Amino acid sequence: MNQPASVVISDLTKSYGGNTVLDHASVTFSPGRVHALLGPNGAGKSTLLGCLSGAVQPDSGTITCSGRAYRGFTPSEAFGAGISTIYQHFQAIDDLTVADNIYLGAELRRGGVMINSRAQLAGASALFERLGVDIDPRATVGSLSVGQRQLVEIAKALRHEPATLILDEPTSALSQTESVLLLELVTRLAHDLDIAVIYVTHLLHEVLTVADEVTVLRDGKIVWTRPGGDLDMQTLVTTISPDVDDSELISQSRDASNAAVLELDEFSSGFTGPLTVTIKEGDIVGVFGLLGSGRSDLLETISGVHPRRAGHALLHGRPYNPASVRSAINAGVALIPSDRSTMSIFGPMTALENVLLPRWPQTTRFLLRSKDNESKAFERIALSVQLKPPFPWQSAERFSGGNAQKLVVGRWLNDLAPVSVLVLDEPTQGIDVGSRRELYRLLRSFVKDEPGRAVIFASSDPEEIERLANRVLVLSDGVLIGEVEPGLGEDALLGLVHSREGASIKRTIGEEQYE
Amino acid sequence: MNEPATQTGALGFFNRQGADPIARMLGLFLPLATILLMVLFATQSDAFLTLANLRGITLQSAATIVLAVPTALLLMSAGIDLSIGSTVAVAGVMAGIFWQQDLIWAGLAAGLAAGLVIGLVNGSLVSLAGLNPIVVTLGTLAIGRGIAQVFADNPIFDFPEPVVAFGAGSTLEIPNLVWVAIVVVVLGMIVLNRLPYGKHLIAVGVNERAAYLAGLRVKMIKLSLYVATGLGAAIAGIMLAARFNSAPGGTLGVGTELFVLTAVLLGGVPFTGGQGAIWRVVIGVLLLGILRNGMVLLNFSSESAQIVLGSVLIIAAALELVRQRLYRKQ
Repeated sequence: MNQPASVVISDLTKSYGGNTVLDHASVTFSPGRVHALLGPNGAGKSTLLGCLSGAVQPDSGTITCSGRAYRGFTPSEAFGAGISTIYQHFQAIDDLTVADNIYLGAELRRGGVMINSRAQLAGASALFERLGVDIDPRATVGSLSVGQRQLVEIAKALRHEPATLILDEPTSALSQTESVLLLELVTRLAHDLDIAVIYVTHLLHEVLTVADEVTVLRDGKIVWTRPGGDLDMQTLVTTISPDVDDSELISQSRDASNAAVLELDEFSSGFTGPLTVTIKEGDIVGVFGLLGSGRSDLLETISGVHPRRAGHALLHGRPYNPASVRSAINAGVALIPSDRSTMSIFGPMTALENVLLPRWPQTTRFLLRSKDNESKAFERIALSVQLKPPFPWQSAERFSGGNAQKLVVGRWLNDLAPVSVLVLDEPTQGIDVGSRRELYRLLRSFVKDEPGRAVIFASSDPEEIERLANRVLVLSDGVLIGEVEPGLGEDALLGLVHSREGASIKRTIGEEQYE
Repeated sequence: MNEPATQTGALGFFNRQGADPIARMLGLFLPLATILLMVLFATQSDAFLTLANLRGITLQSAATIVLAVPTALLLMSAGIDLSIGSTVAVAGVMAGIFWQQDLIWAGLAAGLAAGLVIGLVNGSLVSLAGLNPIVVTLGTLAIGRGIAQVFADNPIFDFPEPVVAFGAGSTLEIPNLVWVAIVVVVLGMIVLNRLPYGKHLIAVGVNERAAYLAGLRVKMIKLSLYVATGLGAAIAGIMLAARFNSAPGGTLGVGTELFVLTAVLLGGVPFTGGQGAIWRVVIGVLLLGILRNGMVLLNFSSESAQIVLGSVLIIAAALELVRQRLYRKQ
């Protein structure tokens, strides 16, 4: 077990409902090296990682590890093979101490029964020493900064002496300083402890800093793998940006005479603001922000999920102050939340039920359900969102991510009841490239087809912001850094939320201070 | 209409898409078990397969069905009401007090009002205040029983002739109480299958948060279902009081919640909610009724009958788990 071995992935293929999300991917992750994994949303990164952590079973192909070939891992096999994953969302329990969290589920015991707190504290200290960081193992995790919590997760993973460590966008919620420290740590983990580090990120400058090897994924295929030293920014940018259909990119020219749809004046949600923005008809406003920037909070407040904290809002010139999601919907503002499986899709219910649910009363005849009206309405919606397969009876959980999202979009974009502002949080997370294009097309035609409509969406993917938005708001730590023109470039966007300039702008505009 | 009905449709399971053979067999388990049990009792006891006995079973099951239909709807929305047994008693006692004074309609109204109030209390505490339904309805279970006993301090019996005649009588050869049950079943089917509300309550059972974010009136849906179980229990209490010609506050409806929940679970409505069909719940009630009747005929002691009932509850839960695992797999 102590002999570190390469993890060799060969010909790994996975498809969901006819969509191939991972297509004969082959790549080798060697110990002692940092492997950066790059690619746009939906390129197959998360599926590849899922195969490695045991969360996803590949359809074909093998994973070879310590000389053993696996057809796919169970989570415990992945653990046995020395593969640890650190997710974007931390798993630690806030109320427990750092040491208790690190030993959670594998407590050190005295005489086999009582938890040996002293040994756990000493063990945790030793781990932090090895990492070269200073965290009090007695502190509760809830009292730590985001960066420190990340280090606790890494220490926890290290306790199992992993041969391979997967970091999924680890700096997405970190401050600039914390990111720099983490990148140094990642390099040390690989080079000093001889761990194979798989580093997933959107940030090209991080790739250039840490990667010994770079693998680019697109449309489920591995485009290439190259040593990090051979690469420069220009090469990276040109390879990860897929061919863009230019006709799609032409955004509506912003006509100053367009009517205002939604006006926010000194608007504050629980965590963001105050911000003042006027959204006009035909606008597709992209809110760019990283994890923890408050983007979901802002969108949910606009859609009536949370009460606003302060400020005013006007919808089509009339005061807009929804008391609930339902009243927002009745006013014509509908939310498509970020996490389909927990917030929007009813997995065991049928496609028809998922689509019609909020608009069911509009299909009734004398208050009773009309199967005829229902199936006609469903057919129209399935056609307009290009649902595949267009089966009304198929349960929602059997659709691919992209088609499940089309069910949610179809719930609001239909002729049963009007919606004038569609609010989407991470609209294409976990969605394949083809469905993503179709969703973009749907949103564009939604704002174009009739006057008085607008789309607001939030994304942490700069490529998505660049491709879909005709206006871009940059949000960081709950504060609107500013509005930028589209076409600024993905790296410029990322630079903005990470840069010192961004931080200093924040100091002048925002209430909340950067720590 | 040429497409298969949804899972909750009246004939949902006969045309369910792509159900694998084992899951299909488990779906058929309920009707098959009922038939097997009937055959078993028929061979063991000559009294079982007589018209009078079968009539007795349906008559005994009538009040349970009236309770089981709203309880099933509540369970489909992932709620639960443990207080129904006490509500039966409170409603029966309230009706009985007025009936003793020859006030027939006032008694009926008082019984229903008691169910309405208890349902509103349960529903407000659970859906508006956000308290845990098990805790809340366990509390009202105790409170209701106490209230029933206080009001039934003097024995309540000897009701006016029309009440007794209704409780014991038949219309078109079918006991009046069974007619009440039939009406409730039809109403339950209309609510679940013919109103948008039926789909909305299933959605709440599948994922309450997603239902809220889809703009459904989650709080109103939950509140209304607790009111429905309260009213169902009240009707059942009134039916039982009329049939027994008395309303013993201490014993009326005791243990009903266990019996009804077992029947509903046996009828394929999981405690986690999100699915179910009324007709299967009715079969679940009848199956338990047959089991109870057969055990009486075969001279089981009431203690051992209690043990069998508890075991059936756990077996039903286990079967449901197996069924769900099989669906997930394929």
